[in-house]
Amino acid sequence: MAATLSRRSTLKLGAAAAGAAALGFPNIVRAARDRVVVRQDRDIQILDPAFRIGAAEGNVISACCQRLASFKTGSLHYAPDAAETIKQVSDTLIEFTLKPGQMFSDGYGEMTAEDIKFSFERFGIVQKDGKKSSYASDWGALKEVEITGKYSGKIHLKNAAPAIWRTAICDTSGNILSKKAGEALGEKITSQLVGSGPYRIAKWEPNRQLVLAANPDYKGPKPVFREVIVRPIQESKTAEIALRAREIDFTRFEDPVAGDTIAKEAGLKVVKMPGMRYLWIGLNVEKAPLDNLKVRQAIRLGVDVDEALTAAFGGKVERANAMLQSSLLGYWKDAPVRKRDVAGAKKLLAEAGLAGGFKTRLTVLNQAAYKTMAQVVQSNLAEIGVTVEIEALDGGSYWSVGKGDVGKNLDMSLQLFSAKMDPSFTSQWFVSEQVGVWNWQRWTNPEYDKLHVLAASTNDEAERGKAMIRMQQLMDDSAAFIWLTYDSAVFGAAAWVKPAILPNGTDWQFGLFGEA
Amino acid sequence: MNIRRPASSVFAQVWARGAGRVGLVLVLLIVAMALFAPWIAPYAPNKINVANRFADPSGAFFMGTDHLGRDLFSRVLFGAQIAIVVAFAVISISLISGTLLGIAAAYAPARVERFFLIVFDVIASFPSLVLALAMVAILGPSLANVIAIVAITFIPHFGRVARAQVLALRNAPFLEASRAIGVSGPRLVFVHIIPNISGPLIVLASMDVPVVITIEAGLSFLGVGVRPPLASWGTLLYDGYSYLTQSFWPVLFAGLVLSLATLGFTLFGEALRDAIDPKLRRIP
Repeated sequence: MAATLSRRSTLKLGAAAAGAAALGFPNIVRAARDRVVVRQDRDIQILDPAFRIGAAEGNVISACCQRLASFKTGSLHYAPDAAETIKQVSDTLIEFTLKPGQMFSDGYGEMTAEDIKFSFERFGIVQKDGKKSSYASDWGALKEVEITGKYSGKIHLKNAAPAIWRTAICDTSGNILSKKAGEALGEKITSQLVGSGPYRIAKWEPNRQLVLAANPDYKGPKPVFREVIVRPIQESKTAEIALRAREIDFTRFEDPVAGDTIAKEAGLKVVKMPGMRYLWIGLNVEKAPLDNLKVRQAIRLGVDVDEALTAAFGGKVERANAMLQSSLLGYWKDAPVRKRDVAGAKKLLAEAGLAGGFKTRLTVLNQAAYKTMAQVVQSNLAEIGVTVEIEALDGGSYWSVGKGDVGKNLDMSLQLFSAKMDPSFTSQWFVSEQVGVWNWQRWTNPEYDKLHVLAASTNDEAERGKAMIRMQQLMDDSAAFIWLTYDSAVFGAAAWVKPAILPNGTDWQFGLFGEA
Repeated sequence: MNIRRPASSVFAQVWARGAGRVGLVLVLLIVAMALFAPWIAPYAPNKINVANRFADPSGAFFMGTDHLGRDLFSRVLFGAQIAIVVAFAVISISLISGTLLGIAAAYAPARVERFFLIVFDVIASFPSLVLALAMVAILGPSLANVIAIVAITFIPHFGRVARAQVLALRNAPFLEASRAIGVSGPRLVFVHIIPNISGPLIVLASMDVPVVITIEAGLSFLGVGVRPPLASWGTLLYDGYSYLTQSFWPVLFAGLVLSLATLGFTLFGEALRDAIDPKLRRIP
């Protein structure tokens, strides 16, 4: 049949076009609003709670799995999730009963207490290839999970564990995996997530997108969006442009200044929270000449932290002088605020026998803010005779650069870690056991290790706080850490998105995202 | 025997064409910027002054300052140095290597010739930027690596042209005569063959210069080119892009100078091609 263009069809076409224009074509496209597109700053790598790299994986895992109890929307208050009841009976005992009929995806059956035991105890088990979970500390207090019935069990702890609810049970390390799936999939468990949460992974195209689709078998409240699409976009500026083009609906900005411009744009909004990620320059204490305390002290004195922050963040972030941010227990309010002292730095270098300076390397993530800070450091240190070569690496390479024996060759690295709302989560990365894992400074101190264990195993807040401050003093004495900032938590979102962000700013609850 | 035309005649023909004149002026300007940067630049290109970041163009800073308060004009000048050094180093390495390999391929036994061609095809089958990106990711970013890697990706261009030219020329009477009177192989290559195949190769080289400049800028923009604080036009663009909402001057000036450089070398290359080999001239 041949199409003819009559007067009537032309009028119909014109009316349709005018109607579409009046309503706004993008709105028609998005009329259903059954999906939300979220940007993360790097691609997902390992979808196993125990062996995840960080929050990028954690957010996806937590959307696909349930926990015994979960945080409420954007809050640290929690409520039972997979558990019908869960109760802390004593400092060392937690009892739970699961809701019956909670099904794992891909036909792996119903969730039972066996799955709880499997999911939690595996954090402390050394794998066949010798690998151990770098998040083992989250469940460090766990003695065993005792199964008392098909749906019930007891979590026995070795000692009091003040952080166990916030950093384990309700958090990413508390996600429940299917034991059957774990046994059947073996190594594949790192890429094939079998959970029972509000979403399941529908499609994963590495470096492009990960599509989470609503899980029809999920027994909890249905999520608002049928799909959550997670797009890895490394550059903050690219994410800002993508948000403006409505290619994405939600992102965090590494550059807080971006929030000012997004706030002026119709149809978009900005969400701001106190920053909790901590950013510092770590110095490898095993690598000469950084193994010399005086050299490290000289570098610390040679760096102008305020200048670096002004250059990278327009001065819109809080300066850090120690590991813990002010809202955390153990905040060291009297931490020394060091001002740049070129003469002092040169004197220390001379005392170390390096009056003529030396060459070193600063490894950073290949992102504008970090490269900017690195260039300030490079310029600062050039004035004391230290030649810094900047090595900017993309996420995939960067996050493995301090691991294993490769990490012995690292000189200085500009690092950014996420924090949780408990200080022990933050302090765990600097214990001796983390050398070659996340302790890229390769700094060890027996007193620090002991205090970390103490702080993680007492409910006495005063004692915990005291231990945390002492630990930060030890770090300060080592001069292996040049603290920079606690970052800023500035998010951009489409006006219709109601994001669910936990107070640390890093953990996002995709299952609780809603419409504003 | 030499059938080349004198250089003065070639440049006269380039100058005679409007586009060629524009190209030549732009090329000379960019080369002058690169050569005289240390004397023209009002400030040290890497001198940071954070208090003065994102300054607008003024008498003190002709092009304003970047996110670290560095003088943009000085960095643009030194960026020309990087562009020219990389372009000329890459073209020289790939021209010399490609020409010698092409000549060797033409005179080699069939199997060896085929091997050369396969290697050329394999390298040429990857887009230059993608291949360079992959290799820089393995070897690490540095000026030397960028030059070496981009040069490798350009060798097949010259190798194929050189081989084709030699195949067309090798049975020429003057070469037969040279061989008959006992001229040695190296002398035959350097005195008789290379001068006679140099025209198309020079045209190709001049046409490749803007491509190399943009590849270097692209690699630096992606953070795998020259290392900070060196001022490549690509890094200037990247830095400007990252802070675009605070100041658009860095992107404007870095983009402008990069565009002018590629335009200049392209126009110059086309005019040179028309002058050296009118058969290749495009029909308007």
